[in-house]
Amino acid sequence: MSHQLPVILFLLPLLTAISMPVVCLKHRNWSYPISVSTLAVMALVSILNLYNVINHGEVRYVFSGWTVPLGIEWVADGLASIILVLVSVLGFLGVVFTGPTSPKALGGRVVHYYTLILLLLSALTGIVFTRDLFNLFVFMELAAISSYALIGVAGGRALFSAFRYLIFGNLGAFLYLLGVSYLYAVTGTLNMTDMVDRLPFLLSSKALVGGLLFMFIGLGIKMALVPFHAWMPEAYTHAPESTSPILASLVTKVALLAWIRIVFWVLTASDTLLQGLFVFYDIPILRLMAILGALAAVIGAAMALAQRNIKMMFAYGGISHIGIILIGIGQGNQTGFVGGIFYLLNDAVMQAALFYLAGVAFCHYGIRKIDDIGRIGKQSPWVTGSFIVVALGMIGLPPTGGFFGKWNIILGALEANNYISVAAVVLSTLLTLAYFAKLLEGIFRQTSTQLDLKFGEIPFSFKLTLGVTSAAILLLGLFSSTIVQLLLDHALPPRF
Amino acid sequence: MIRPHDSIIVQTLGRFVIPVVQIFGLYVLFFGQYGPGGGFVGGVILGAGMILSVLIFGHDASRSQVARNVLHGDGVGMMIYAGVGGLCMIGGGEFLNYANLEIPGLETASRRSLGIVLTQIGVALDVTVTAVSIVFSLSAEEIIEDSING
Repeated sequence: MSHQLPVILFLLPLLTAISMPVVCLKHRNWSYPISVSTLAVMALVSILNLYNVINHGEVRYVFSGWTVPLGIEWVADGLASIILVLVSVLGFLGVVFTGPTSPKALGGRVVHYYTLILLLLSALTGIVFTRDLFNLFVFMELAAISSYALIGVAGGRALFSAFRYLIFGNLGAFLYLLGVSYLYAVTGTLNMTDMVDRLPFLLSSKALVGGLLFMFIGLGIKMALVPFHAWMPEAYTHAPESTSPILASLVTKVALLAWIRIVFWVLTASDTLLQGLFVFYDIPILRLMAILGALAAVIGAAMALAQRNIKMMFAYGGISHIGIILIGIGQGNQTGFVGGIFYLLNDAVMQAALFYLAGVAFCHYGIRKIDDIGRIGKQSPWVTGSFIVVALGMIGLPPTGGFFGKWNIILGALEANNYISVAAVVLSTLLTLAYFAKLLEGIFRQTSTQLDLKFGEIPFSFKLTLGVTSAAILLLGLFSSTIVQLLLDHALPPRF
Repeated sequence: MIRPHDSIIVQTLGRFVIPVVQIFGLYVLFFGQYGPGGGFVGGVILGAGMILSVLIFGHDASRSQVARNVLHGDGVGMMIYAGVGGLCMIGGGEFLNYANLEIPGLETASRRSLGIVLTQIGVALDVTVTAVSIVFSLSAEEIIEDSING
C-alpha cells in the first residue's frame, strides 16, 4: 500500500476538484467543508508519506506498469516528500483562511474557487513528484491555468493583472517546452534518470546549451526571478485576499524546485561533469545562478522599500527571497544547498503568514496602504504578535527559521569563497530590516485620530492561520538543527 | 446566443454532414486501439460535430439538444478515467496498469483492451464537453455584462 502513496496524494485533491461542481451544484456552502476535509486528509497522508520515505527509502512509481524510460516515472524522495508536506499543510491553512471571507470577495464564484484551489494543489503535487520533463510541463500548465483563474476569480481590476500573468506565464511555459524539445531531440529521452546516462556523450552539443537556456528562462519567469518578475507583484496584489497566500507561498517556490531538479538531478548528476562548480560549454551555470540570485535579492528588497501598498511590498519581499534561495543553491556545496532548501521551507511559511496578515488587515481593518497601518495598533494581540514574529523571520533574527537559513547560506558562500553572495545576502537583509522598520513604526506610532476606531476581535480562522504560521516560523528556528540534519540525510542530490 | 444560420444550403448540408462527422468521431475513438486515433482526437471530432449543429441550427433548436445536454457531463469523463485507474490500484497494480483491472472473468489481454477503451471514452467525453463549453461561454451574453459591471 505504501508504494501507492504518491499517486494517492495526487488523486485526492484532483478527484475532489472534479466531483466538486456536481456535488455542490445545489448546495454551494458544502464546498468549504469538503475542501477543508480533503486537504486535511492530504496533509496527514503527506506526513505519512514523509515518515515512510525517511524510514524505508525513496518510492519509485511508474504509471501503468511500464518500465522506466517508456513510462512516466514519479519518485517520492526525501526532498519531494518534505516539500509536499509544506505544500499540503499550507494549502490546508490557505483554505481554512478563506472560510470567513464573504462570497462577494470571490465574486460569488465560491464553488469555482475551491475547485481551482484543489486543482492547483494536485498540479503542485505532480510537479514535486515527477521525474519526466514533459510531465513536468503538463503539471506546470495545470498549476498556471488554475492560478490565472484564481487571480481573476473576483473580476474587476484583478482581471487585468490575471491577463498580464497569463501572457507572461504562457511565454514561460512555451520557452520551457521549447527547451524540453531541444533536449529530447538531442538525447532521445524525457526521463530525468535516463537522461543522466546519455548527457556525458553530448557535452559539446549546442542544442543542449540552447535548450537549457530556454528552460532556465521559462522557469525563471515562473519563479519570478528578477529580470522576469514583472507579472508577479501586481497579480498577487489584486488577487482576492484568500488567494494570494497560497499563490505567493507555493507557486513560485515549486517552479524553483523544478529548476533545482533539472540542475542537480540531471546535469550535475552526470558522471564526467565537474561536481562542485559546474562549468558547461564555458558557462558556469551554478555561478550564474548565484549571481542572478544576488541581483534578485538586492533589487527585490530595494523595490519593496519603495512600495506604499502592503501586498505589493510583501510580493517584492518574496522576489528578493527567491534570490536568496538561489544564492544558497548556487554555491555548489552541501552547506549552501541545504541552507537554500531550508530557507525555501521558511520562506514559503513566511510568505503565507505575510499575505494572511495583509488579508486580515484588509478584510478586518480595511487597510491597503502602509500609511493606514496604525489602525492595527493595540486592537488585536494576535495580529500584532504574529506581525512581529514574521518581521523577525523575514529580517532573519536568531529565534526564527529565517536566521538559520541565511546563516547556512552565508556559511556555504564563505566555503565557496564567493564573497559577492555574502555581500548580497547581508545587503538584502539590511534592506528588509529597513522596510519592516517602516511597517513596525507605522503600527506602534499611535496618532490621536486612530485611537478612536474600535474593531472587534478577528474571527477564529484568522487567529488559527496566523497562530499556526507564526508558531511554525519559531519552531523551524528552534528545531533548525534537526531539520537541517534531515535535509542532509535525505534531501541531497546524487553525487554531492 | 447563437441564432440559426439563414442559408438553406448550409441548413441542408448540415443535416447530412453532422451525422457523418459524429459517426467518424466514434470510429476514430474506438479505432484508437488498433491504429491512429484515440480519445483526444475522437473527442475533438465529436465536439466539432456538436459545435457545427449549434452554429447551423442555433442554440435553442431541437437538433442542438445533445450539445446542450452534454454540458452536464462536465467532469464525468475524468471520473471514468480516474475510476478505471483506481480499479487498477485496488487490483494491486500501478495507476492505470490495466493488467490489474478488477473485473472478474476476464483474461489479462481482454482486461488491457477493455481498460484502454474505457479510459479513452472518458478522455473523449471530457474533450467534447470542453470544446462545446468553450463555444457556449464565448457566445453567452450575460457573461459580457457581468464583467463590465463587476
